[in-house]
Amino acid sequence: MQGQSAIAGIGETTYYKRGQSPKSEFQLAIEAITKAVEDAGLELKDIDGLSSYMESRNDPARLSAALGMKNVAFAAQPWGDGGNGLAASVGIADAAVSAGYAKNIVVFRALAQGQFGRFGQSKPATHVSGNDTFSAVYGMLSPAHNCAIQTTRFMHEYGVTQDSLAEIALTANAHAQLNPRALRYGKPLTREEYHASRWITKPFHIYDCCPENDGAAAIVITSRERARDLKQTPVPILAAAQGLGLRDGAPLHNGPGFPTSFNREVGQQIWQRAGITPKDVQVAQFYENFTGPVLMAIAEMGFCEPEEINEFVANGNIQGPDAKLPINTSGGNLAECYMHGFELINEAVRQVRGDSTCQVADVQHSLVVSGPGYRPGSAVLFSKD
Amino acid sequence: MQRYMPDWWALPAIDDNNREFFTSGKIVIQACKSCETLQHPPEDVCHACQGTTFNWRACSGEGVVYSHTVVEHPIPAALKERVPYIVVVVSLDDHPQIRVLGNLVNIDPEKVEVGQPVHAVFETIEDKENDVTLKIPQWAVVN
Repeated sequence: MQGQSAIAGIGETTYYKRGQSPKSEFQLAIEAITKAVEDAGLELKDIDGLSSYMESRNDPARLSAALGMKNVAFAAQPWGDGGNGLAASVGIADAAVSAGYAKNIVVFRALAQGQFGRFGQSKPATHVSGNDTFSAVYGMLSPAHNCAIQTTRFMHEYGVTQDSLAEIALTANAHAQLNPRALRYGKPLTREEYHASRWITKPFHIYDCCPENDGAAAIVITSRERARDLKQTPVPILAAAQGLGLRDGAPLHNGPGFPTSFNREVGQQIWQRAGITPKDVQVAQFYENFTGPVLMAIAEMGFCEPEEINEFVANGNIQGPDAKLPINTSGGNLAECYMHGFELINEAVRQVRGDSTCQVADVQHSLVVSGPGYRPGSAVLFSKD
Repeated sequence: MQRYMPDWWALPAIDDNNREFFTSGKIVIQACKSCETLQHPPEDVCHACQGTTFNWRACSGEGVVYSHTVVEHPIPAALKERVPYIVVVVSLDDHPQIRVLGNLVNIDPEKVEVGQPVHAVFETIEDKENDVTLKIPQWAVVN
């Protein structure tokens, strides 16, 4: 039952630095959704399903009223309060359309941290409870600390260099120089600037960490058949997958698979479902919360062995439209906009349509891998119709 | 010993799952009564047999640094007086599959390394608000 649904439209707002959006988060969501629906050649009244992730504040009741939806036949989010749900939010919409539960589902993410306060900034009270007692008491409470600890061990086990972390940051920034939507457009980053930049939590420099931004992005998913009658070239969802291995759910780095980005099972399943291998992918978008987990995700998705990651990302192998595997071609979370990864979905669709600002030639398969280091992992694979 | 994190920093709210760990003055790990599997952090259910009754296994307090980070940027900003500080994941010598988080209290942040032998030390803190004497496990490099 793979490939029954397709992306019919994409949309996004202008992207802003954190706190600089003139619109509220809900207004941003409506704007991105409206643009995606227009891009598809549909009308708002045609939408009958909603999906998001990361415990979206923009709930189906409020959205459906504001959008004038005649019926909400499907509304769901995958579990998880991290970017791990990005591709899964597309995957569940794919499943719902394929099963006939809804006809035209909007998947979106909206974010106005100026309005609602910042992620990853929690200050503990005088006492913490539950599993936090075993971590926050020691000053470990941010996603950066969590991913840094994973990355330190990954670097140790496989001889991964700081320069390989740099490659992820430099690639995103280089690609953003081609993309006028990108917040880092016109602000190139050099390797020297990367290495000289301040530490956040070792081994992460400031440029290893996603920024904080405001904006919204959305897509419309419909059946592949219906999509062929609409305005845009359909971009079929060839396969999607979630995954989490045996006791990978154990807290505080006690899973047997540590260090892991929680993508080993995701990788195995998505290639099996799609009937292709990583070699058949021309372009890939990897959610960057931090650079280190991206390296882990590349290996766990099967693009190389972890011992080979230094070479895999070096020498321009992931940078530019002619690279061996161009990644994060719009600038991604690090340099286009930290839209909790949704800008990666739109970019992956653009690569299949052929209108990326860093267009790869003859794209047959275009991959998005969700936020690494958060659970369960997920990925989605688009193909040419 | 003096607290590694600032005096005002968060303390553990003691519950049935963490009382032994934070008050016994030993490195104590949860053990399933049915199958004797050890797991950390403590859970309501055994990951191996789904048992629901547990006792506690005291360990030697010896281990090695399995992974680490040196926190340089204060989150929240009030920690700016404390950075840089070291967070370590310690693999226990008695049970290497068990990993415990803590701070590495007796070494310069530049010198932390994966594989360093460490031993547990304890911060005694009177939590007057909750009328409990805490003995917070920490880690020191073996000299």
